Amino acid sequence: MNTVKIKNLTKTFVKITALDNLSLNIEKGKITGLIGADGAGKTTLLRTIIGLLIPDSGDISTLGFNPVTQKNELTPLIGYMPQKFGLYEDLTVLENLTLYADLKNVPHNFEKMLEFTKLAPFQDRLAGALSGGMKQKLGLACTLLGNPEFLLLDEPSVGVDPISRRDLMQMVREMINPNTTVLWSTAYLDEAHSFDTAVVIDKGKVIYDGRPHDLGATAQEFENKVIDLMGGYKQEPSKIAENYTLLKEIKECTVEADNLEKKYGNFYAVKNNSFCINKGEIFGLLGPNGAGKSTSFKMMCGLAKPTNGTAKIMGIDITKDPEKARSNLGYMAQKFSLYGSLTVRENLEFFASAYGIKFKNRTAKVQEIIEVFGLKDFADQKSEELPLGLKQRLSMACALIHNPPVLFLDEPTSGVDVITRRDFWNHITSLAKKGVTILVTTHFMDEAEYCDRISLFYHGETIALGTPQELKDKAGAKTMEETFITLIKESEGE
Amino acid sequence: MKILFALIKKEIKQILRDPSSIIIAFVLPFISIMIYMYGINLDSVRVTMGIKNDDPTPEVATLVKSFGHSKYVNSIYFDNLKDIETAIIRSKIKGAVIIPNDFSTKLARGQSADLLVITDGSEVNTANYVQSYALAIAINWLATSKYAASVKQPSINAEIRTWYNPDLNSHYFIVPGSIAITMTLIGILLTSLVVAREWERGTMEAMLATSVKTIHIVLGKYIPYFILGMLSLTFNIFLCIVIFQIPFRGNYFVLLLVSSLFLFTSLGIGLNISSVLKNQFLASMVAMSVGFMPALMLSGLMFPINSMPVFFQHLTRILPPRYYVSFIESEFMAGTVPEIVIANAIYLTILGLILFMAVYKNTSTRLEKESSHSVNGFRHEREVKE
Repeated sequence: MNTVKIKNLTKTFVKITALDNLSLNIEKGKITGLIGADGAGKTTLLRTIIGLLIPDSGDISTLGFNPVTQKNELTPLIGYMPQKFGLYEDLTVLENLTLYADLKNVPHNFEKMLEFTKLAPFQDRLAGALSGGMKQKLGLACTLLGNPEFLLLDEPSVGVDPISRRDLMQMVREMINPNTTVLWSTAYLDEAHSFDTAVVIDKGKVIYDGRPHDLGATAQEFENKVIDLMGGYKQEPSKIAENYTLLKEIKECTVEADNLEKKYGNFYAVKNNSFCINKGEIFGLLGPNGAGKSTSFKMMCGLAKPTNGTAKIMGIDITKDPEKARSNLGYMAQKFSLYGSLTVRENLEFFASAYGIKFKNRTAKVQEIIEVFGLKDFADQKSEELPLGLKQRLSMACALIHNPPVLFLDEPTSGVDVITRRDFWNHITSLAKKGVTILVTTHFMDEAEYCDRISLFYHGETIALGTPQELKDKAGAKTMEETFITLIKESEGE
Repeated sequence: MKILFALIKKEIKQILRDPSSIIIAFVLPFISIMIYMYGINLDSVRVTMGIKNDDPTPEVATLVKSFGHSKYVNSIYFDNLKDIETAIIRSKIKGAVIIPNDFSTKLARGQSADLLVITDGSEVNTANYVQSYALAIAINWLATSKYAASVKQPSINAEIRTWYNPDLNSHYFIVPGSIAITMTLIGILLTSLVVAREWERGTMEAMLATSVKTIHIVLGKYIPYFILGMLSLTFNIFLCIVIFQIPFRGNYFVLLLVSSLFLFTSLGIGLNISSVLKNQFLASMVAMSVGFMPALMLSGLMFPINSMPVFFQHLTRILPPRYYVSFIESEFMAGTVPEIVIANAIYLTILGLILFMAVYKNTSTRLEKESSHSVNGFRHEREVKE
């Protein structure tokens, strides 16, 4: 019994073929993971299955309906959570639930849902004021209303910490019945490994459809196999690192936080945060959403003023001379923060001039950066048109254009596919070897393993600090993810 | 029905929580009426003009004096042309009258005498006033002077009576007319944002995956903003009639009925912009240029349509503000005139319905237009028409 039958499906947009003669069956009552690089066609496939997009050719049958002509019959049976969750930020939690219940014509029984999502105490809070993890749960709760036969989730776990991710998975598994079909698109391969079926798509075609365990017994093996299927990743020496020259000879403690504190009213966003990062070290800042990581980051860059304490970059006090301290810093923000309507080259030229690179050297420098970062084929394309992986590479190029000895990366790999992530970390570790000091935040626990040291952050305070192995030993856990969850739970228990 | 009700409830909550919609509906009309009431004056104004008299006879001196006595003119006496030029450049005077040295001689001989009137062409309206005031004062003076006998009396004597607005008070039509501008802002600017906002925030995509139908989405936008618009209209009328004491000779029911038709067309324009563009910034720019500017400039409110170039005269015919402004001015000043009410109401209804159908057509329950793709289905025995 199949919930979805797809035969020879093709969907093209103006320039791109999103789905290329794709055929696929999705089994009823199973959780199917949809895996693929950015732009592989995951979102287009989900939208086409439920009739939000109309294919150019080919056939689909979803729950026995033709989504092209029978969308009205189909939609009451499905639950679809788009990437932005579809919440009304100016409505409260309860009002969002009520609205979606009415739109789906189901009764207003939210007690179980509120209890399960632990949103009950926040039911009168505006959805816009919720943390990322809570928004996700509310989005899922709205999607689950009316017990849909078929649940489609488009990358629900992007940018969410391991605890929220685990809660989300648990929520889906407990709220569905044995006949519910789930199609879950994800960039986390460990997540996909726990599903019944994994479908890997690449360039609009299915390249694997089967049990994840048949590909690899462990999540790590599975990941490696998936990477092989997607064309493989060959680790080459990082050109970016080769091209990098450390300009300043520096001592220990290139980045130092000294009792950093940020207080909003009576609430401590960050409290007693002290650490010292050495030259060439990769220092990871880990913690659940809302733990104070971004606030710490902003204070370290001089973008937010600490209420107490200070930070030093290359020995320069960020509160006393923020411009000078920042000139030693490359910063990659969480969201894509380049100029979308400018081309790749124009963005680089702008950042080159913003960082004070002299006009006569600028063209040559920009050209060099374009080549080193492999952006040659896209140099004259508008940056908003680039796929996520390339956007992120461009952001990194802009952050490194002035050869800073220190690099700050705020969730640089959020929403990025596995191959791009590997490539990215290859550059990061190579840069560190050249002596660049790197401060990074991430929600990918496998990435935490690349860090030399990790500071685990919770409720504005450091609850553990050490090498990945030290933290694992402390928690008595095997994986970084377990370590994270154990240490956070322990700290909650105290 | 339940779905529609849920959507309307949601939209009203969003309106109430968004200060900008309340500002546009209630604060902005207040400010705009204040400006039209106290800031703009299209009536005759008092101008300052210079006088240079080259004919120093006692008789002509009385002419100079009568410039000083006029309630429309402030006169300043000059001795040479150079000073007059300087004064005009510095905007101290808006024009000047120069009486030549043969002025009284010519009049005495029974010839027609010359009077030089200099006006500042950079301010055309004021220049017109200067010109007509100077002439009127001179003619009045002539009739009472000793040369009166030698001047032929005009054979026609115009008796002027201004109907509907005996005081010729321009506020009486501009202030009610400004309601058209406020209604346009609510109808077009606010609604141009609301559909685009749902696209940008991704709520539209989530909504389309529920049992919502096109008609729900369309009415779910029309109805709440119609209610907001009517509330704002009532507030506007209250301001006009009760606070600013603009005389109202029409019928309140007719006023509300035709205003609601105008609101209906404005909502249609705004929602079309929003559903087509799906981008708040672009939508607001387009709304300003196709909504606000024509309401201000092409409605006949500020500039008479008859004096526009032919092309623009035709353009005003397809835009709703012209019909509403013409209705609201006559409703306030002349009372309900069936011919005007019916003609304008019919036009607004037709346009409103066309726009409504366009909104319906532009609203899809999918992420793309349906017509642009052809699909060859195969096994769908249960095919149902949407």
